[in-house]
Amino acid sequence: MRRFMVLLRKELRELMTPQMLVPFAIAILMFALLGSIISGEEKKAQGRQDIGLVDMDGSATSLALPDALDQAGFHVVDLGEIDTASVTEELRKRDLAIGLYVPVGFEQQLESGELADVQTYAVVRSFSLTALSQTDTLKGVLSAVGGSVSDQVIADAIPGSDPETLKRPLAFTEHVAVGSLEAAVPLDAVYGLIQQQTLFIPVILFIVIIFAAQMIATTIASEKENKTLETLLASPIGRGSLIMAKMVAAGLVALASAAAYMAGLSYYFQGLTGGEMFDSGGVDVSTALGLRLAATDWILLGVALFLAILIALAMAVILGAFADSVKAVQSLLTPLIILTLIPYFLSMLIDIESASPLLRAIVFAIPFSNAFTAAPNLFLGNQTRVLLGAGYQLLWLIALVYVAARIFSSDRILTMKLDFRRKKRARVA
Amino acid sequence: MSEEVLEVVGLRKKYGQLEAVQGIDFRVRSGEVFALIGPNGAGKTTTLRVVATILRASAGVVHIAGIDVAREPDRAREIISYLPEEAGAYKNMSGEKYLRFVADLFYSEAKTRDAALARGREIAGLDERLDDKSGSYSKGMTRKLLLARTLMTEPKLAILDEPTSGLDVLNALEVRDIVKQYAAAGAAVLLSSHNMLEIEYLSDRVALIHEGRIVEAGTPAELKEKHGAVTLEDVFREVAS
Repeated sequence: MRRFMVLLRKELRELMTPQMLVPFAIAILMFALLGSIISGEEKKAQGRQDIGLVDMDGSATSLALPDALDQAGFHVVDLGEIDTASVTEELRKRDLAIGLYVPVGFEQQLESGELADVQTYAVVRSFSLTALSQTDTLKGVLSAVGGSVSDQVIADAIPGSDPETLKRPLAFTEHVAVGSLEAAVPLDAVYGLIQQQTLFIPVILFIVIIFAAQMIATTIASEKENKTLETLLASPIGRGSLIMAKMVAAGLVALASAAAYMAGLSYYFQGLTGGEMFDSGGVDVSTALGLRLAATDWILLGVALFLAILIALAMAVILGAFADSVKAVQSLLTPLIILTLIPYFLSMLIDIESASPLLRAIVFAIPFSNAFTAAPNLFLGNQTRVLLGAGYQLLWLIALVYVAARIFSSDRILTMKLDFRRKKRARVA
Repeated sequence: MSEEVLEVVGLRKKYGQLEAVQGIDFRVRSGEVFALIGPNGAGKTTTLRVVATILRASAGVVHIAGIDVAREPDRAREIISYLPEEAGAYKNMSGEKYLRFVADLFYSEAKTRDAALARGREIAGLDERLDDKSGSYSKGMTRKLLLARTLMTEPKLAILDEPTSGLDVLNALEVRDIVKQYAAAGAAVLLSSHNMLEIEYLSDRVALIHEGRIVEAGTPAELKEKHGAVTLEDVFREVAS
């Protein structure tokens, strides 16, 4: 144990170099900074928006529009009486993004039962994500103006009626069933809740797997490249301790980086979504549908994630043993990256359960799939599936650790290598 | 009275179809420097690697102080130390930290650990440069650091593959003196080298390997007399041809 700890300290020291820490810190700072900027922009967009208004009609109906817009949260800027050709120029001059033009004859058209003419103008200054809120602003303006005018038209046509009831005569109540439980909650809210609870898991798991695998394969390759492996192999350290020290060190650094990335990503997404991902209409969706993870669920989830990381590390040990230089590591890790990418994307994009039998067989054969699908499966009450998946992962891990230990205990650690350059040269010759 | 530290009997090593070592026998006693000489690809490094427990023998036995290296490699590693021909140190670690790492690996008691570290510092002779990262060392400095790493633990058997490889004359002389002193203190040294002058200066006995077999063995004086040669180089040339 003492020698294992000595080796672990050495591995951690080798991994925590400025070359590794600086880009890592920059990435986290970037996430936090982006989140902060986006959050600021979102807040600005959610504030009171200025709307330019040209009222050429001057009727009672058109004069009621500024009040309707004000009630809808907009600040109306009167652009005066100008022709349509000048509206865009006036908006630009006053730094406004949205303008409304009410032509002469607006009220008259309404009274004669025709569709009344209203023109909108939008000045696009960028195509960024936050600039997309301009479309929401325009929708808000149209809704406020349309709502106000239609209310007045209905009130004039059917005195004493409630315009709201006439416009929306149906009252919908949404019922959602998850597993054995059913509740009257909005479907959007259920998806929003699950997404909020599980959004980070695949992202972080993917980062941890790739990061840890790269680290451990790189340390093995650099032992070969720097010619330190032979002396290490001749030192009084068991081969098992040697592999475990490398795996634990890479795992610890990867977990620390995952925690930091998680904090950065969390801040980033909070900025992106304003911290709210769904509107449950005041209903506690998680209680109503039992969408809460019990302590045993959390343990199962942890086991599935931990096994996936260990499998990646064991695979990387084997792949790293083939590398004769640090440069070769990237190419050698490609199979591992592909095996991680398949369940990562498929679990986010499609319902694997309803996929074709062949695709399901491929996905479930990959030892990382259980970790990527564990959280939604646990929310759906499929604990048995996650447990069986963990058993399958364990079998993979035992097999991989056995192979890795065999490689390190035999001559292969020194003799086997894949040299792509040499093969290429041979083909050319 | 010197004791037998290393016994190699019928050692064979195959890499696929190629038999690099084809049944060799030799013994090394405490206080003795035993050298393997031979052309490139003769099987010297393979033999050293098998003795150092890094490679497994295809046939034959290797005993170090009575320990069978195939059966108990972990025990054997406690009493040996190996300096490969192309060895390096951890570039991000200072020389001092590297020696401390080795001392920590071998010893649990602070007193023995500190004594080993002091020996390492003395053998390395790098003074204040020991605090610099080893990535900034010249080849000679790295080699001396690695020799210090090899001898600081006072192994019963030191296995040195081309100990002065790539060193300038002054550094090579210094390293040879360190090895000679170390053997004189009672340790066994198994080394390989291409440098015949070095072999003559350091070795008590020499084995000449050719195509995986020992074709001659004896003291440098015996070999020169047997072949009527002035230097070991002449012996080597005659036997190899």
